[in-house]
Amino acid sequence: MTDGGLDATDPRTLPGFFDALADGDLLGGVCADCGQVLLPPRPACYACGSHDVDVEPQSREGRVFSYTEIHAAPPAFAADAPYTVAVVELADGGRLLGRVTADAADVAIGDPVELTVREPTAAEREVALEYETGWPVHVFEPR
Amino acid sequence: MPEPVIASVGASPLGRTDLPGRDLFSVALAEAFDGLPDPADIVEAVYVGNQSESYEHQIMHGTLLAEWAGLRHVPAERVEGCAAAGALALRHAVKDVRNGDHEAVLACGVEKMSSAGTSGATDALSAAFDRAIEQRSGVTAPSQYALLARRYLHETDATEADLAEIAVKNHANAARNPRAQFPKEIDVTTVLESDPVASPLKLYDCAPVGDGAAAVLVTTPELAADLDRPQVRIAGSGASANNIAVAERDMTTIAGARIAAETAYEEAGIGAEDVDIAEVHDAFTVCEALLAEAAGFAPAGTGYQSYRAPAERADGWTNVQLSPSGGLKARGHPIGATGLLQALEAYEQLTGAAGDRAVEGAETALLLNEGGVADAVTVGHVVTTAEAP
Repeated sequence: MTDGGLDATDPRTLPGFFDALADGDLLGGVCADCGQVLLPPRPACYACGSHDVDVEPQSREGRVFSYTEIHAAPPAFAADAPYTVAVVELADGGRLLGRVTADAADVAIGDPVELTVREPTAAEREVALEYETGWPVHVFEPR
Repeated sequence: MPEPVIASVGASPLGRTDLPGRDLFSVALAEAFDGLPDPADIVEAVYVGNQSESYEHQIMHGTLLAEWAGLRHVPAERVEGCAAAGALALRHAVKDVRNGDHEAVLACGVEKMSSAGTSGATDALSAAFDRAIEQRSGVTAPSQYALLARRYLHETDATEADLAEIAVKNHANAARNPRAQFPKEIDVTTVLESDPVASPLKLYDCAPVGDGAAAVLVTTPELAADLDRPQVRIAGSGASANNIAVAERDMTTIAGARIAAETAYEEAGIGAEDVDIAEVHDAFTVCEALLAEAAGFAPAGTGYQSYRAPAERADGWTNVQLSPSGGLKARGHPIGATGLLQALEAYEQLTGAAGDRAVEGAETALLLNEGGVADAVTVGHVVTTAEAP
């Protein structure tokens, strides 16, 4: 294992990952042994178990792998419903879930999208845990 | 190594009840111990499947339910794995008996889901998903499975009408199950025209919110015989975790479920073709299709045919009957109790106690219980009255 000394500036922790994301940088873990992309980065590779995980910038462009339109939302997001959520396959091989800024009727599997980052809304801050309040929110925009 | 058996089962009413969780448990326990000595005379350990403290602001279910069973001073603990908690509790009981640690272990589960309405249940269940990315994007249990369903419909010949037929079949089974939350038949149009929840899943694609408790007494064969109880061997037990985030998994090949099922088959010395009935985790209609494939009952891409009679399914399907209880969809899905309700169904089917819903000649059952979305964690058990191979 090589991840001794992890602290909140390390992108293999959530604070480190979201700090970079707030600056517009999407960082992924890339397993030095098998190449698996890990989003967000973490100390261990789920594919092979290695703890030799590099952190590398990831393309923010990708394609819709699957999607849904949420009608019955959790209470914290009820005012947003209906909204679209997708799993996106990014150009560098990782997959990430996020909201899509389009009606589901205008989305299809394979559609090109791009990850963008915004500040959390007041409503989102209200339901955030104390340590999450500064974290940005990522969304996918059709391109 | 003693081979664990199920010696008795019990359940509370399922659905919207006026009883708190501990009282639901008392009802289930009373059925399981009807005609038996008191639990204190038999039971040596307790495991409780329970999803969330959100519903009743209560943890410590091991301590609480042991006490309510009259079992002070035994090891007792709550087991958590979202909707797989019940089968995880059963698996702990199986291991204790196999290891010779105990001759009788109570595996039970309870959930009081109706306490905060549908929105409370939606919120409690969303805690099963990755907090950093998924929860903050507003996912729900139906939306997570909807992502699998959309992909499954994209990759296979299945249609939304096929998924609807799975719900129709399970409601028809539940109509013959006096324990079912929804013992009534429905038709495909009802499913297809029901309110959208998370497209392509609609209200009738989804298992209901409901309360319930179940109790399963796991013992050595000798003790079950001493108690003069019909016994069903728990011949195999497997479990597997997978990624927490659905995005990082193969969304149409449910690898963890395959590992759980194959481990259970291997321990039991059987193959998928030997399974007569299966209670699979049909929390959403698409799950039954995916799990039929993962369990080895159906070739890839044909699991959605589970609603059809065996002769009308694709080549390569086994003759298994899925969800004879009505499944999570219509029998009910009180989260922490579900894995034990699956075991209860198998016990009743294999001991001639399934009444009108009995699957003729059934000797061997597979139970597949999932927690989180799909195979975030899966537990599989093979239970059987057949001679050991």
